[in-house]
Amino acid sequence: MNQSGYMAKSPTDDDLEPPAWRRLAKDAYYVLIPIVVVLVFWQMFAKMSGISPVLFPPLENIWNALVHTATEGTLWADLGGTFLRLFKAVAAGSVIGTIIGALMGYFRDWERAFVGPLNFLLAIPGTALFPLTMIWFGLTEMAILSILIYEVSLTVMANTWSGVKSIDVSLIRAARAFGANGASMFWRVLLPSAMPSIISGYRLAFSRAWRIVIIAEMLVSVSAGLGYRLFWAREFFQTEIVYATLLTIGITGLLFERLVLRSAEAMTVNRWGTVRELE
Amino acid sequence: MGELRVERLKKHYPARRGSGHRTGLRVFDDVTFTVGEGEFVSVIGASGCGKTTVLNLAAGLDTPSGGSIFVDGRAVTGPGLDRGIVFQEFALFPWLTVAENIAFGLKSMRVPGEQRKRTVAHIVDLVGLKQFADYYPNRLSGGMRQRVGLGRALAINPSVLLMDEPFGALDSVTREAMQNALAEIWIETRKTVLFITHDIREAVFLSDRVLLLAGRPSQIVLDLPIDLPRPRGRHDASFQEKERNLEVALRGGSSQTGDSGEAPAPREKTVSH
Repeated sequence: MNQSGYMAKSPTDDDLEPPAWRRLAKDAYYVLIPIVVVLVFWQMFAKMSGISPVLFPPLENIWNALVHTATEGTLWADLGGTFLRLFKAVAAGSVIGTIIGALMGYFRDWERAFVGPLNFLLAIPGTALFPLTMIWFGLTEMAILSILIYEVSLTVMANTWSGVKSIDVSLIRAARAFGANGASMFWRVLLPSAMPSIISGYRLAFSRAWRIVIIAEMLVSVSAGLGYRLFWAREFFQTEIVYATLLTIGITGLLFERLVLRSAEAMTVNRWGTVRELE
Repeated sequence: MGELRVERLKKHYPARRGSGHRTGLRVFDDVTFTVGEGEFVSVIGASGCGKTTVLNLAAGLDTPSGGSIFVDGRAVTGPGLDRGIVFQEFALFPWLTVAENIAFGLKSMRVPGEQRKRTVAHIVDLVGLKQFADYYPNRLSGGMRQRVGLGRALAINPSVLLMDEPFGALDSVTREAMQNALAEIWIETRKTVLFITHDIREAVFLSDRVLLLAGRPSQIVLDLPIDLPRPRGRHDASFQEKERNLEVALRGGSSQTGDSGEAPAPREKTVSH
């Protein structure tokens, strides 16, 4: 829903909203309460149920594990390793996906040529390709990256394609009337107008890649990575490290998605008023 | 500079299987008229008479089946920056601000930055959007959006301004305000204008001449000069007389097509059986 279009004559209405810090404080309040409740119950259960701390460690053990891995440096190495993989794959995959997707949206022939293979490949989960990439590349970095790139580029391709395809025809007519054609049509009109859809494709691609990279690091022995850490912590029965790593995965994934991807989306979708649901 | 000449313009749509037009559709066969330099000419007609088609052909966004269109003696072969178009559905670029939308055509013309800025500032002022230059279109009301549309077309300083029912999507109050604004802007700029509308009062208020398009295939059945002094009062007797003339002609025009003289254009008349 976009009501702002009608309120054009009173831009000062924004001033009437409560200040940002107060809204943030209120949000934090509602977010914190359930977290505190969960932590309290966790601690009570761990201390009083009699279950072995190896299965269900109390909070201080998890915290100590976290502090330990942080001071030791493995935490940062793992985070760095996972995110580096992710960035490489998202960068390569989104370039491939955006270009082919845009060509598919713009040129009939590209669409005809690619739509079949795209739909077929989209039906194959990236993770199903692990046996294949392991055969091809061995237990190497490339075995992971190739799958991530595969998943990211397909996801971005599908979203870019539909974004470019669903451009309002009247905008293309207007662009032609005002001198855009060929390459300038692409850069000045097709790409920006498909941007909301392209960005939500990036977001989707990131969250898929995030899932896959964790699994991939468990399957393929690499030197550092959050999935790798989970796997080895289980091997050595270091349950508190398993929990600590899960916590790290949850928090960093959430932060990245909120701070980076959300704001990129908000910048285009909200500002331009292109109506598209964020969830 | 700024003469639009339409000569023996013809537009047919070929027969297409599966669509309603099994035997093709003749929109018009022979439409000829000239909009002189600095003249404001409206084309009115019932919906479906092909008036928007005339404009699209003049804009170069559609290709004629025959005949030609000349802007200052040069034949129209496609879209071009010698014509500024104002669309009924606004068609503003939502990712550009008001000023950037207005600058779109100037950028295509590779007008250097400084000069572009000056032109945009002038146009933003002309269409009355000075405080809104940095707004994105989604925050503007319908009337303001069409001011941007008009500004975008005026910015390239076109020989001919083509307006396709530009106020058709606005409510009646805004519509009159926009007509007043356009009349003022026109007096200031003296552009050659081809204006498409189905609103008789709007046509009389704005135009030097009104062309009535009717029939099937349609043709120009009336070329009525509106020689009233400007600014015009919508409630003046002479104004209302022009309105009445056009209204009678519009009814008469469309009744020529229906067999009974009542039903407005039953189905598309076909090329041959």
